[in-house]
Amino acid sequence: MSERAVASERDLVALRPEQATIPPGHPWNRIPLIAAVCALLGAAACAILGAANPKQFFFSWLVSFLFFLSLALGALFFVLIQYASQGGWGIVVRRIGETIFAMLPLMAALFLPLLLGLRDLYSWTVPGAAEHDALLRWKAPYLNVPFFLIRAALYFGIWSFIAILYYRGSRGQDVTGDPGVSARLRRIAGPAIIVLAVTQTLASIDWIMSLTPKWYSTIFGVYFFAGSFVGFIALLSVVAVAMRRARLLDTVISAEHLHDIGKFLFAFTAFWAYIAFSQFLLMWYANLPEETIWYKARLEGSWMYVTLFLAAGHFVAPFFYLMGRTVKRKGATLAAGGAWLLAMHFVDLYWQVMPTLHPEGLRPSALDVAALVAIGGCFVAAASWLLRRQALVPLRDPRLAESLAFENA
Amino acid sequence: MAQTEADLLDTPVAGRPTLILRSPDFHAITEVVAEAVERRTPIGWWLFFIPSLALLGLLGVAVSWLFWEGIGVWGLNVPVGWAWDITNFVFWVGIGHAGTLISAILFLFRQKWRTSINRSAEAMTIFAVMCAMTFPGIHVGRVWVAYWMFPIPNQMDMWPNFRSPLLWDVFAVSVYGTVSALFWYVGLIPDLAMMRDRAKTRTRKLAYGIFALGWRGSVRQWHHYETAYLILAALATPLVLSVHSIVSMDFAVSILPGWHTTVFPPYFVAGAIFSGFAMVLTLMVICRTAFRLEHIITLRHFDYMAKIMLVTGTMVGFAYATEFFTSWYSGNPYEIFTFLNRARGPYAWAYWTMITCNVISPQIFWFKKARTSIPILFVLSIVINIGMWFERFVIIVTSLHRDFLPSSWGYFTPTIWDISCLLGSFGLFFTMFCLFVRFLPMVATAEVKTVLPQADPHWQPGPEREIRDHRAARPAGGPEPAPEGAS
Amino acid sequence: MPFDPSRTSGSSRAPYYGILAEFATPADLYHACERVRDAGFTRWDAHTPFPVHGLEGAMGLRRSPLPWIVLGMGLLGAALGFVLQWWVHASAYPLVISGKPYFAWPAFVPITFEVGILFAALGAVFGMFGLNRLPMHHHPLFRSKVFERVTDDAFFISIESWDPLFDQSATGKLLESLGARSVEILES
Repeated sequence: MSERAVASERDLVALRPEQATIPPGHPWNRIPLIAAVCALLGAAACAILGAANPKQFFFSWLVSFLFFLSLALGALFFVLIQYASQGGWGIVVRRIGETIFAMLPLMAALFLPLLLGLRDLYSWTVPGAAEHDALLRWKAPYLNVPFFLIRAALYFGIWSFIAILYYRGSRGQDVTGDPGVSARLRRIAGPAIIVLAVTQTLASIDWIMSLTPKWYSTIFGVYFFAGSFVGFIALLSVVAVAMRRARLLDTVISAEHLHDIGKFLFAFTAFWAYIAFSQFLLMWYANLPEETIWYKARLEGSWMYVTLFLAAGHFVAPFFYLMGRTVKRKGATLAAGGAWLLAMHFVDLYWQVMPTLHPEGLRPSALDVAALVAIGGCFVAAASWLLRRQALVPLRDPRLAESLAFENA
Repeated sequence: MAQTEADLLDTPVAGRPTLILRSPDFHAITEVVAEAVERRTPIGWWLFFIPSLALLGLLGVAVSWLFWEGIGVWGLNVPVGWAWDITNFVFWVGIGHAGTLISAILFLFRQKWRTSINRSAEAMTIFAVMCAMTFPGIHVGRVWVAYWMFPIPNQMDMWPNFRSPLLWDVFAVSVYGTVSALFWYVGLIPDLAMMRDRAKTRTRKLAYGIFALGWRGSVRQWHHYETAYLILAALATPLVLSVHSIVSMDFAVSILPGWHTTVFPPYFVAGAIFSGFAMVLTLMVICRTAFRLEHIITLRHFDYMAKIMLVTGTMVGFAYATEFFTSWYSGNPYEIFTFLNRARGPYAWAYWTMITCNVISPQIFWFKKARTSIPILFVLSIVINIGMWFERFVIIVTSLHRDFLPSSWGYFTPTIWDISCLLGSFGLFFTMFCLFVRFLPMVATAEVKTVLPQADPHWQPGPEREIRDHRAARPAGGPEPAPEGAS
Repeated sequence: MPFDPSRTSGSSRAPYYGILAEFATPADLYHACERVRDAGFTRWDAHTPFPVHGLEGAMGLRRSPLPWIVLGMGLLGAALGFVLQWWVHASAYPLVISGKPYFAWPAFVPITFEVGILFAALGAVFGMFGLNRLPMHHHPLFRSKVFERVTDDAFFISIESWDPLFDQSATGKLLESLGARSVEILES
């Protein structure tokens, strides 16, 4: 449909607020409570099991923390790119993204437990580690605990600032309907993306790469971005379909929107594979010990099976699954693909982090589940609590009508 | 004209801006595009064509001398075993990437503004790939064994080494050239049919008719055609990523500091799109003026292109910074030395040229004034391409010229034949491009027509029509009514 | 102009190829296509200078089978590329180069990918040619003078005379009633 036809239909398709809120008595109103209970149970399990095995607890917590953090960062990227590119189709799902990145301040709080276990997680933080190690001594101006903490504070400060700015702006527009908000947020989206790219790259170095302090890879930041974006789109597909099922946005999110989410999921799954394989191929080919050490840990013992599972499950299977058109347009099939990729994103992070703790092989732990439930519970509880208090779409975004009427060519 | 056109760019947050100005009808688009091909050859065309042809001749001389005398006529020698030849190769492959981005990736993202420029951008891709393929072809020295690069056993019954990135390159670039040509040709078919149907002479009718394949615009044909076009776009997108990634692997799989770094694949792709857009911009500024296409290739198109250059230029700058930081972070003395040497060593002039042209200069595109000023765009498009050529030069030559042992250090200086080959490749490129704009419709008319409002089968002539007429009747320089979408 | 069955674009000898009707705008053509489709015609076509969005739906066309051809060709190409490399390096002529294993699968990926893309693209282009019966330089439609504008700004419906519902007079009248600007008979 041409842009102009849409523009002239704008008044006809305006959305009534009650079409885009969770009505009283809807089962989704109970989610915050259920999730909060889960979070408490998870936290209790973490406390009990973690007391016996603190090292495992910190690693498990790190994986789950990174998982939800990356989803929130992926959401922030998604929304910023949508503003910067003036994208029209995705307005109807933007509020879902906004709700998810609004969790970034919460993620700062969930980061705090890790500070108790820095010495368990990062070998370079152990006092005296650098004394007999020329390489660590060289890196000490960057890899030292005070600077690490300052950086972490900066990352969370910047992310929370951008997140709140965009969340508030969008919510405010629901009330005022001021199109100037969109213009203003669009203007700062470019610089915000740059800041986000830099901080996210450094954060991935700090929190994941420095687990193996002597290893380095210039593509690592891009790899983290690719994974987080796939993770967020996967989550978006699941949430969008779940909302339709729950008769929340069933008149708003159409098969056309699902189709586009599916295309994004497909494209970024391939992008993730491209980045992951580039890193692997270059290190495999050059065969330098200082680089291959990272892959060696992941290609030996039972980690080898995880690596193969990751390649098959994060790329090959979803690639062929999501290739077709029907799969992307049907809620059930798209959400199945999304849920699978979300799980694979967790596996990806697990595979990046855990071989540091268990170089001998895959050692799943109850704490992995406990940490996931604890952090996930907090995340879902807070996000669903926000959803209850707000419209589920940016009601008065100037491009909402275009998004509602969106059709794939 | 330029002033009022710039006014139009005050983007409404809602609605979509008009892409084609002066609200032409379908026939007017046919006319303006076909007329550029059908009219008598203008003098201006010869003014471009003859110098281009002369430069192509220079390439012929340089290459003949190279074959006769050997690679020694170039300035490269141990330790700088690759210099301008591979720099030019990477430069030209990169130029091509913008064409594919415009024709394929922007198509997938439903960016309709691509329709005005995609034809010439795709042509540019093909000619750039031709220039690129020249260099690996001639740099082997003994061209008569160039067939060793093909996947066939040679006279010793040996196969090429498929595990080598140089062979990946042969596959990647030749597949890229082939698929780009197919994509371009498929897009041309409806317009070739248009030229056939308008032809006044039998020769023209035959020449265009043969290649139009008997296209008759049938919806049953369009149906498969559009599917094929979409699929080609979907295939070209990963292909274009793979091509420059594989080109980057020529360097990155080695263990040479400065070459071996994992970010090379995506970083090369970003740089390729960056330089390619600059080249598209250079060509479009010339074409739009020369062929009076101001209402089809508008400032809005330039505005979008400048934004993409800003994005990719910043990505490239980010990659430079990542490399620099990681070289320090690695703690590897060779890595650290290589990067410090780039910034402070004998080739520091090249390095800082690269930084100035590629990272600093595009930052001016944060300002809309710059994005919509033809002189600034034109100058910057050339500056950026100089910078991107230097980027490849810096990567290749500075990494090689300081080998691991100081006894193997050297300094590369180009000879007259290096320079002739580079200039000559521009001759090849511009000669082809001149021929293209002379004989083929340089705007995809069938696609541009779909952007017009009346192309929508649900479009109704109504009040909007009056607004458009009002605009057409408005005296130049007068106040502009708000674009329709904003109301 | 009124429809006159005796008037054809060439001489008036039977059998006819069919009837050609011109419409003024994509919108007129779209609605006419819907009506012709609903009338039950099968051997007919519409002709436009550019792809009109949604027209294939108005004509009741099914989705193109082309994606399946492309998928098949792509997989075939990738398989061929991979097998060639495996056969050369691990079977026919094993040779150690730069310490890489004979079966160095990571190094086989780029060429496997490229050959897969090449075959898929060839499948897309030549598959499309096949489905569209191109090249076809001779066609009765090309005899019509007005049809020359099909690549410029004119929109047509052509109904072939061997459609079971075809009736020279009634079909022409139908097209005229749908708002055709002109209707003519095409000889074969």
